[in-house]
Amino acid sequence: MNRAITYVKTFALWELLRGLSVTLRNFFRPSVTLEYPEEKTPQSPRFRGLHALRRYPNGEERCIACKLCEAVCPALAITIESDVSDDGTRRTTRYDIDLFKCIYCGFCEEACPVDAIVETRLHEYHMELPGENIMTKDKLLAIGDKYDAMISADKAADAKYR
Amino acid sequence: MSYVLSGHVRDEIEHWKARFPEGRQRSAVISALHAIQHENHGYVTAEQMNAVAEYLDLPTIQVYEVATFYSMFQTEEVGRHNVAICTNISCMLRGADDIVEHVESKLGITTGESTGDGRIYLKKEEECLAACCGAPMMMVDHKYHENLTTDQVDEILDGLD
Amino acid sequence: MSDDIVNIEVDGEAVEARRGQMLIEVTDAVGAYVPRFCYHDKLSVAANCRMCLVEVEKVPKPMPACATPVGEGMKVFTKSPKAIAAQKATMEFLLINHPLDCPICDQGGECELQDLAIGYGRDVSRYNDGKRVVKDKDIGPLVSTDMTRCIHCTRCVRFGEEITGKPQLGTTDRGENMKIGTYVEQSVDHELSANIIDLCPVGALNNKPYRYSARAWEMAQHATVSPHDCVGSNLYAHVLRGTVKRIVPRANESINESWIADRDRYSYEAIYSGDRLMRPRVKENGAWRDVDWEGALAQAADVLKSADQDKVALIATPAVTVEEGHLLSQIADHLGTANIDHRVGRRDVSDQDNDPMYPSLGCSIAEIEQHDAILVAGSNVRAEAPIIAHRLRKAAVAGAAISFANSSVYEYLFDVANYLSGAGLVELLAGVAVAAADGNSLPDSVTELCDGVTASGAHKDVARSLAEADRAIVLLGNIAGRHASYTAVRALAAAIAELTGASFGGLSEGPNSAGACLAGVLPHRAQGGENRVTAGLDVASMLAQAMDAVVLVNVEPDADIHAATDAVARLAEQAFVVALTPFVSDALLEAADLLLPTGTFAETSGTYVNVEGTWQSFSGVASAVGEARPTWKVLRVLGNLVDAPGFDYVTSVDVRDEFVARLGEISTSNAYEASGRIAKVNGADAPANDIDIPLYSVDALVRRATALQLTDEAQRARAVSDG
Repeated sequence: MNRAITYVKTFALWELLRGLSVTLRNFFRPSVTLEYPEEKTPQSPRFRGLHALRRYPNGEERCIACKLCEAVCPALAITIESDVSDDGTRRTTRYDIDLFKCIYCGFCEEACPVDAIVETRLHEYHMELPGENIMTKDKLLAIGDKYDAMISADKAADAKYR
Repeated sequence: MSYVLSGHVRDEIEHWKARFPEGRQRSAVISALHAIQHENHGYVTAEQMNAVAEYLDLPTIQVYEVATFYSMFQTEEVGRHNVAICTNISCMLRGADDIVEHVESKLGITTGESTGDGRIYLKKEEECLAACCGAPMMMVDHKYHENLTTDQVDEILDGLD
Repeated sequence: MSDDIVNIEVDGEAVEARRGQMLIEVTDAVGAYVPRFCYHDKLSVAANCRMCLVEVEKVPKPMPACATPVGEGMKVFTKSPKAIAAQKATMEFLLINHPLDCPICDQGGECELQDLAIGYGRDVSRYNDGKRVVKDKDIGPLVSTDMTRCIHCTRCVRFGEEITGKPQLGTTDRGENMKIGTYVEQSVDHELSANIIDLCPVGALNNKPYRYSARAWEMAQHATVSPHDCVGSNLYAHVLRGTVKRIVPRANESINESWIADRDRYSYEAIYSGDRLMRPRVKENGAWRDVDWEGALAQAADVLKSADQDKVALIATPAVTVEEGHLLSQIADHLGTANIDHRVGRRDVSDQDNDPMYPSLGCSIAEIEQHDAILVAGSNVRAEAPIIAHRLRKAAVAGAAISFANSSVYEYLFDVANYLSGAGLVELLAGVAVAAADGNSLPDSVTELCDGVTASGAHKDVARSLAEADRAIVLLGNIAGRHASYTAVRALAAAIAELTGASFGGLSEGPNSAGACLAGVLPHRAQGGENRVTAGLDVASMLAQAMDAVVLVNVEPDADIHAATDAVARLAEQAFVVALTPFVSDALLEAADLLLPTGTFAETSGTYVNVEGTWQSFSGVASAVGEARPTWKVLRVLGNLVDAPGFDYVTSVDVRDEFVARLGEISTSNAYEASGRIAKVNGADAPANDIDIPLYSVDALVRRATALQLTDEAQRARAVSDG
């Protein structure tokens, strides 16, 4: 009996039909594929992408060179040197993040007492030349300045969960 | 040091120094400062404190400490008459706050300030002067005035030169 | 059981304690930690932070452990709910007015308040009102202030009153307005003043040059030894990525306790001074040119090899390490010269054969405070060895009669028994010697010096205090060591000691006079104190003669050499001068022909023997600046190049071990025997002749330490020297 059923199924291409039925079912389902880069997936405000250093609205750097991010960084990607600035405050003279070392864990952002270092939602960047992996203070501040609106909005969106 | 202690201040210091054992001349600092403040129209300067320190062979900081600690000493220039209105519990219950308010508006200054003509210094805050039976009270240049009314206060203040 | 012992119970454990001891000492001894801010074992008890509250049975309120003496049968609970509640409440009050600025505070990461706030603080403050703000004070170039952070423990105030004897900080005003400060703006200037940085349990007093440059947790801590005086204070260098960021004390009860002098703390700035020599340089036809190490060393070796052996001179300072001294003296032996000396400050070497094997204090540093009477002659102790001065002050506070004999009068912050001054040192000491003899015969050596001298009342007082003391010592300082008639000064001091039954000793120059003597960096003695067959030339004689080659090891001819006048001009006249030096200066550019950059104490390993004979080795803590190399390595390669045998050391430890193995027994005896009657030298005893080196001019490092040079002390000294 079993042999007869197997025999019939083999000639009726039963497995093929079963496979095609899956195809047919999905054929009528809504599409989930996005046409990147024309289309993009939605991002969380907590997305951890490229770093930025922020400023206060009056233009003053937020970073106070407390070096907590440097201390907490599990990949030792951050290097900071600090000194007394012209106005007597504590400021960095060097703030480097090595993007090759960084594992984008977001600890630096968590450790920062003044919300200076943040990981933005930017993730589409590349390097062409050796050394470009080092994000210097100037580069980080420039990113912060350029995307200030986005960073502020993300921070505000996440604030109530903190 | 340009400031020289007057003979009276010296006498005063020697008088008090003699009352304490040898080597405890520090105990005479308060009386020395009192004497100087009296001569200097109600306040002592750093220069005068230095002179006291030198006379008593003390580090200057120890004289500064004493002078700034006690509210009886003024270390900034103040008006020549020291008016201190008690605002502790008994006086407060008997209307000291009204008197303070009255004096402030009369003189146009708040407590802790001196009048522009350098006549009156209204003390920042005065603690109980042990005259609760005559509350409310105030002390003007070491003299007690008790059972005050605003009229009396006016009279007393107007009577100051 | 003696009456002095009481039995108490700490957290249920029976403990014996000395009567009169404070509870906190007992709990510390048994390891029951009680939190504290104002208590410090070197300072008096203030009990004003209230952090150390503990529960004591049968006492209704919690008691401050630092101010509660132990009593028989006392039962103490350091961790009971009541004690913890009291400590937590105290912490909450302390934090009310404390700014939460740990991220920018230099104390962050090593702060007692921060640490204890973890254990005893709340996570969220209940205090919603305004915090008080206190204006920062300017108390000089060494210590930065952030007075809002102050918790009024008064450790700094007590340090001024009890340790330095110069109270400048105090608590002014009261209640909420109370603040620590100087009231009138002035710098806090004592040679130990910067120790208040370490005492401050919070970030109110901090290291000014170090301000904001690093964090406590990222620096590596390396042990090292101070190179500025004969004490050899123990230090820790805190190093970040090869750069010394600051120096802090390393506690050593037998040497520096927990203090260090300000110049020990701040001289590291000189390591990174603009004066550093970055690569070897050679002078050709009057113009300087950078060369590579190989060429420079080859040239130095050629000059040494081709020089006439009597015409080679090797001059070092007392800052050479034992290793450098050992290599230097071997090079001298190999070259066949005895013209080697480290005594750049000593002007009178006529009696050098009677020198002790190495200059020694005559007692240990810690023993100074156990003396009942001390005569310090020819010394500005506070500048020469601040830690010794501190020990002297401790002795004086404990009741010892401390007397001084010196032409000029220096300020001491304790009751000085007698201060003999105004005349030359020989004259002053002759008076004391006559008084000490008290009609009996004087030692033969000093009879001529004391001829016709009558003792005044002060002389007699000094002599009597020494004679009547159970334990007395006569100490000679560095001014005496530089005295033009040192022979007479020493003979008189030794005679005084002999006549009064006191011991005899002295301070020495630099960190390693003792080690240099043992290593044979002396013209008249070889290693281990053996007399040389024919003595070589001392520094002054070397400079007075025409030499084929002169090697200067870390010598600044204009500032370090007091043995000869016009040292720079005389060196400039010499045929060829090789200078191993960390720094370049106008004087060196004029005097030298070849400059070899060497490391400072931070960049080299080595050993110093201090004035009490303690050997202290240290390793290099910082990366070399420029192409500078440790002096011992330069000397080793130089030794190879001049074909000296056995120069195959790999580390400085090899050098030291070889030296120690060769060194025989070390005699610590200070016994002085003159080789005859000492004659008066005309004009040598004029008070103006006394050379005193100001506190912040003692060596090349200190002279280049920016913060130290900004102090009032340094500026006063400069004003004097500039006329």
